[in-house]
Amino acid sequence: MPRAIELRSITKRFGSFVANEGVNLAVERGSIHAIIGENGAGKTTLMNVLFGLLQPDEGEILIDGQPVVLPNPAAAIASGIGMVHQHFKLVPSLTVADNVFLGMEILKGGLIDHAAQIERTAELSRQFGLKVDPTERVGLLSVGIEQRIEILKVLARGARTIILDEPTAVLTPQESRDLFETLRGFVAKGMTVLFISHHLEEVMEVSDTVTVLRHGKEVATRPTAELTKSDLVQMMVGRLVSFDRRPRAPVAGERVLAVEDLWARDDRGLHALRGVSFDVHAGEIVGIAGVAGNGQTELAEVLSGLRPATHGSVTLGDTSLTGLSARAIRGAGVAHVPGDRLVRGVDRNASVSLNLLMGRQDKAPWSRGGIIDRGYLAQQSKALIERFDIRTRSAAAPVKSLSGGNIQKVVLAREFSGDARFLLVDQPTRGVDIGATEAIHSEIMRQRDAGKAILLISVQLDELIALADRILVMFAGRIMGDLDGGAVSEERLGFLMAGVDEHGHHVEREMTS
Amino acid sequence: MNDRISALSGQALAIMIALALGAMVILAVSESPLKVFLTLMDGAFGNPERIAGTLLQTTPILICGVAACISLRGGLFNIGIEGQLFMGGFAATWVGFSFEMPPVLHVLAGLGFAAFAGLAWVAVPAFFRARYQTNEVVSTILANYVAVLITSYLTINIFKRAGGAPDTPPILESAYLPQLFSFSRANWGLVIGLLLAVGAHLFFTRTARGYAVTEMGANPKFAEYGGIDIKKQTFFLLLVSGAVGGLAGGIESLGVHHRFMEGFAPGFGFDGVIAALLANGNPLGTIITALFFGALRSGSLLLEVDTTASREIITVIQALIILAVSAQILVRRRAADSSAGERRWKF
Repeated sequence: MPRAIELRSITKRFGSFVANEGVNLAVERGSIHAIIGENGAGKTTLMNVLFGLLQPDEGEILIDGQPVVLPNPAAAIASGIGMVHQHFKLVPSLTVADNVFLGMEILKGGLIDHAAQIERTAELSRQFGLKVDPTERVGLLSVGIEQRIEILKVLARGARTIILDEPTAVLTPQESRDLFETLRGFVAKGMTVLFISHHLEEVMEVSDTVTVLRHGKEVATRPTAELTKSDLVQMMVGRLVSFDRRPRAPVAGERVLAVEDLWARDDRGLHALRGVSFDVHAGEIVGIAGVAGNGQTELAEVLSGLRPATHGSVTLGDTSLTGLSARAIRGAGVAHVPGDRLVRGVDRNASVSLNLLMGRQDKAPWSRGGIIDRGYLAQQSKALIERFDIRTRSAAAPVKSLSGGNIQKVVLAREFSGDARFLLVDQPTRGVDIGATEAIHSEIMRQRDAGKAILLISVQLDELIALADRILVMFAGRIMGDLDGGAVSEERLGFLMAGVDEHGHHVEREMTS
Repeated sequence: MNDRISALSGQALAIMIALALGAMVILAVSESPLKVFLTLMDGAFGNPERIAGTLLQTTPILICGVAACISLRGGLFNIGIEGQLFMGGFAATWVGFSFEMPPVLHVLAGLGFAAFAGLAWVAVPAFFRARYQTNEVVSTILANYVAVLITSYLTINIFKRAGGAPDTPPILESAYLPQLFSFSRANWGLVIGLLLAVGAHLFFTRTARGYAVTEMGANPKFAEYGGIDIKKQTFFLLLVSGAVGGLAGGIESLGVHHRFMEGFAPGFGFDGVIAALLANGNPLGTIITALFFGALRSGSLLLEVDTTASREIITVIQALIILAVSAQILVRRRAADSSAGERRWKF
């Protein structure tokens, strides 16, 4: 029997960046096939190629054994492929049935036949066990039900192979379980499911086969039953070869940051932090390792005042930061290099110098009596551009005209040039080229040697090993282990990241809120 | 810098296209577009009286435009300037006829109270926007109707002067805002408007608070991360915008009408919003666009005298300009990669 889908040596480049390099993927009919990898591993690019949203530079696509060219999503849909995107594309003011048939309305005498659409939606809903009320307005429904509607849309268009991009990212645990039940129902009917994830547990729970991508390449494709979570982590994060550990002298500093039994909820209202405690001392880099989505983002947001904690305390020196605003936390001496730098870290349309001003616009000598000292700003901008080696035409050039690495240097220049005692550095080199990465690492080391306390959150283990004095591993909102950065084994990290503690016990992800 | 040039040339192109479409409409009502254009120019700038007439129309549009710029800069859309203008106009008139004061003081008191009335009128929508993210477009536009009806009620049922027309009593002469020329009602309000435009520009580009609200409009997540209190700045900015809107009404009443009556200001608030949008939220640019709309209004008076075209043609041209400019802005935004750091309001 021909395979439902086969991708042969797909390569996709964006400029000089290779998102997919010679990726092979064979998906058997009637199976649930998971594609797993870190953020930026090329999962979504590959699926967009398969759905006709992107054209591969090299390689070929076979559907049911036949080579096809998919110039657009319409062609993919015609070939029986449907995609449920991470961000839903629904019209809140229309009913469920109207959304399902949007763009392919059932007509009667030139008008929309609402009754027929409702009936057909109800039929699909019964047939595939996706419970919805076809007459309900979408704006009133929960995210889990919206996802069912997206799946119904795909089914109504005759899909036999369904691609789901990070389907559980927005779901509650119960909704996730319902979704998995539905997916198993699909394959029982002979359909094929392809889903993208970076959650180990759900891949282990629901998939028949798993393909691991790393840095745009296919690392392995195996039957899920043959693998353990730790195997998956090892394959996702790979061998540690890229950076050498930076030499360092021990700095015995006082305790600067103390985090005590910290709890916080994520955007879904689930507890993303479950009793996190740790200290960071002056002159120390503490690394946070973990597969993305285990609470690192929420930890950074709580520490910087962008997300409230539900329990626990954060103390900087003798000052309690618990419950303070972002502004007050900055004022107390915390600098923050955010993980999503293009969203939070800069205003891309503003000049380099106005980006360097953020957070201190109402402090002397940057401004006096509410009036910005433009001379001082110009002089400081010039000095910072020079000191951090920011490659820009001028201080007046908009930040968006800079390369990714140089944009990050703008953020670093701003955050590291204040008088903060604690530096919260989140994914400092994500999407940054090698040269800029080296420079950024050197700068972080310089800050350490100057006695700053640094918390470095990174999904790149080699970065943590190169820089961190201690590495804390996060799993499911908890700290799994506290390792010496100089003597850490790759295997040990892999186990902890997969939720296996030092005694070999699996820590279960708690699915309650 | 390149961005600014391309934005300006795009804006200019859009206006040209709108004018060309307008010419076609004029042809369709069988009048010569050239004649209409020349008549408009003549009506707006033909002699000193007409220039003064244009400046008279420009003044409220400019001040309302500055009010709109203030909110737009922070990513907010105060479309209730018309209502704030009505409240301000009534408030200034009330001060003007109810109290006896020395001349300069009387004017200042009237204008101050007008600004306060505009501020108070936007305070409720501003509070709900800041505290609960209630859409300010809806709340301020609804407040417009209430403002028009309340001032109308007060005028007719409480303060109506003896005699026929539904007007309030005239304000005392001590509350008159002085005229600029002996032959026109154009008044010092124009100077106030120009000062406000320059002041708003300096505020946004030179002060710490102006920087904070500009970044709040450009990328609210960045502003939040940088420690800017979004709720506080949102509330503040809408209040200032409302105060300027109220001031526009005060200037109309103390400088032009010297009383308050129904239909006090025919759409100046909305024209101001459009002038501000056309200038991309830039207060200095709004001086030009407000002058343009003022000239259209003033020139249209002569249109019905000298040509067969009706002055409604001006409304058609304005609508075409709005369409062309919005289309142009949309095209430019599509072209620029706007995936990250979304603005709160696309204008």
